[in-house]
Amino acid sequence: MKKADRIFGVIGLGLALWSYLESTRLQYMTEFTPGPGFFPFWVGVVLALLSIYLIIDTTIRKPSEKDNKKILPARHMLYRVGFIMLMLVIVRYTMPFLGFPLTLTLFAAVILLLLEHYSILRSVVYGIAYAGVTWFIFEYMLSMGFPKGFLGI
Amino acid sequence: MDVITNLLGGFSTCLTLPNIGMAALGAFLGTMVGILPGLGPSATMAIILPITFGMDPTPAVIMLCSLYYGAMYGGSTTSILVNVPGESSSVVTAIEGYQLARQGKAGTALGLSAIGSFFAGILGTISLAFLASNLAEYSLKFGPAEMFSLVLMGMFTIIYVGGKDITKSLMSMVIGLGLGTVGTDIVQGQPRFTYGVSELLDGIDFVILVMGTFGIAEVLESAEEYMKIVPMKVRLRELFPSLADIWYCRWAILRGYFVGFFICCVPGSGPTIASFLSYGVEKSVSKHPEKFGTGVIEGIAGPESSNNAAVSGAMVPMFALGIPGSGATAVLLGGLIMYGLKPGPMLFVDNADFVWAVMASMFIGNIILIIMNLPLVPAFASLLRIPYGLIYPAILIICIVGAFAVASGLFEVGLMLVFAVCGYFMKKGGVPAAPMLMALIMGPMMERSLYQALNLSHGSMLVFIQRPISATLLSVIVLMSLYVGIRAIMGKKAAVEEAEE
Repeated sequence: MKKADRIFGVIGLGLALWSYLESTRLQYMTEFTPGPGFFPFWVGVVLALLSIYLIIDTTIRKPSEKDNKKILPARHMLYRVGFIMLMLVIVRYTMPFLGFPLTLTLFAAVILLLLEHYSILRSVVYGIAYAGVTWFIFEYMLSMGFPKGFLGI
Repeated sequence: MDVITNLLGGFSTCLTLPNIGMAALGAFLGTMVGILPGLGPSATMAIILPITFGMDPTPAVIMLCSLYYGAMYGGSTTSILVNVPGESSSVVTAIEGYQLARQGKAGTALGLSAIGSFFAGILGTISLAFLASNLAEYSLKFGPAEMFSLVLMGMFTIIYVGGKDITKSLMSMVIGLGLGTVGTDIVQGQPRFTYGVSELLDGIDFVILVMGTFGIAEVLESAEEYMKIVPMKVRLRELFPSLADIWYCRWAILRGYFVGFFICCVPGSGPTIASFLSYGVEKSVSKHPEKFGTGVIEGIAGPESSNNAAVSGAMVPMFALGIPGSGATAVLLGGLIMYGLKPGPMLFVDNADFVWAVMASMFIGNIILIIMNLPLVPAFASLLRIPYGLIYPAILIICIVGAFAVASGLFEVGLMLVFAVCGYFMKKGGVPAAPMLMALIMGPMMERSLYQALNLSHGSMLVFIQRPISATLLSVIVLMSLYVGIRAIMGKKAAVEEAEE
């Protein structure tokens, strides 16, 4: 946990710097009221102070029972999470070419097949069912305007 | 008397077939969410919210509210039958509930928790109606200075009351405030943090943040490992506790209601804290505290009543002041803004029909839930036999649809995925996401009231301490900060002394 806190502190410091830099190109105050740069400036300052406190605290504090606990799960669990995230990113970028129903059918089928170890047939059937029902409700009934792929749907 | 008249008016609005249907749908979804581990009420409400775009706000909010308290009912089922809490406020129910189930009294435990939840839910709704309307009337006197101080106090209370690690909670809140500044600023209309991305000009939609950090992050955490749950079987005739049991638990239910409702009127406490506090109260007033942990019925009745009353309690600041009391009410508050309503005291003036209809619907929702949670519990419990591996791809698909629905674009889907990764690692690192969400919603409110207050006072900061209500609220923040600071220093000192010994 100590290491995680320190990493969070460093990320916080980075975000604080980003917010501060953004505030420098904006007006800080108008005649009476705060300008557009006022909030980003104070967000940067307060976040920097908190981040520095967190980093110092993690450096000087004696490790407690909580600190010795591992925060990330075992490698095989992390692979599962990473795989799901990767699939979600692929969905984001392939939907404009493959269209909504096909992308989501493949998404669900691949997860069920590779992560949950269902048979190919069952994975595809579930994939079609999930994507089909969603497409029917949100596109056919509610006309949400999902991206259409090369199949025209 | 006004409250009763308004409430009767609310009943006339909400007693229509579509509204009752939405209450039943919300209750059903809430019970399911409560039963199935891996997805909490806040995440589900966030996922469902974009789908209700374009709907009339009354049925939409009726559904979301009944989903919220429905999850409190459903959460106990998994705690009792499999010792796996469906959501965080039912963690404490598992302590006594599972022991009772092992003794063959699962039906009594489930029945008592449903009956306790029902009575506390009804009492909580009555209290909500009286307290929220009076508080809203009082807060009509608030100007921009008071609103600024109130929002500030709301944020600090959330951190101090609900946060486990104050520094990380504060950082989460400040990051949320930073996210709230993204988009066109309210003073000069200048773009901030947009870098030419037109999708960011309107700011970051809270739905995107909440679906990423609550929805997908929760799914990712639950999907880390193959989850298989085998619930105990319960027969319908076993589900009704004896009258003697109900009579025995009457004070536990009442105490649960008091603890849950009044604790959760303070922003930041939430149903989880309420249920733990109620369990502590039951143990301390019990004549046989040593039996706690072995299957004591008042150890279920109290906390289960408490977490249901807490839902009504958390809605008091949300309806009356426009300040969310918990993660789920933050989603609800965002929903109200999304439907074009103005949460806070003006809601009782401009949209009185809506507010009273929603409050009246809570009575109906509780009646629907007691029906669902007594005779239908065996059917709901069988849902636990569906493998989680089959459920989460469907949840992820709904999240994608929800993010797409926000602005009919894939940019929002990408942004949601970024927040999902952040949310997952925040969960792992013990950084709460709720303060970030609340700050994202309340940050623009805070900025606007600061701007208006200083504009009216010609730039004098004294306006915040010259106005009595604002000064009182700021004093509360200072006192709270001093108390938390001193407590932290004392805690550190004690830890150092302990380590030296």
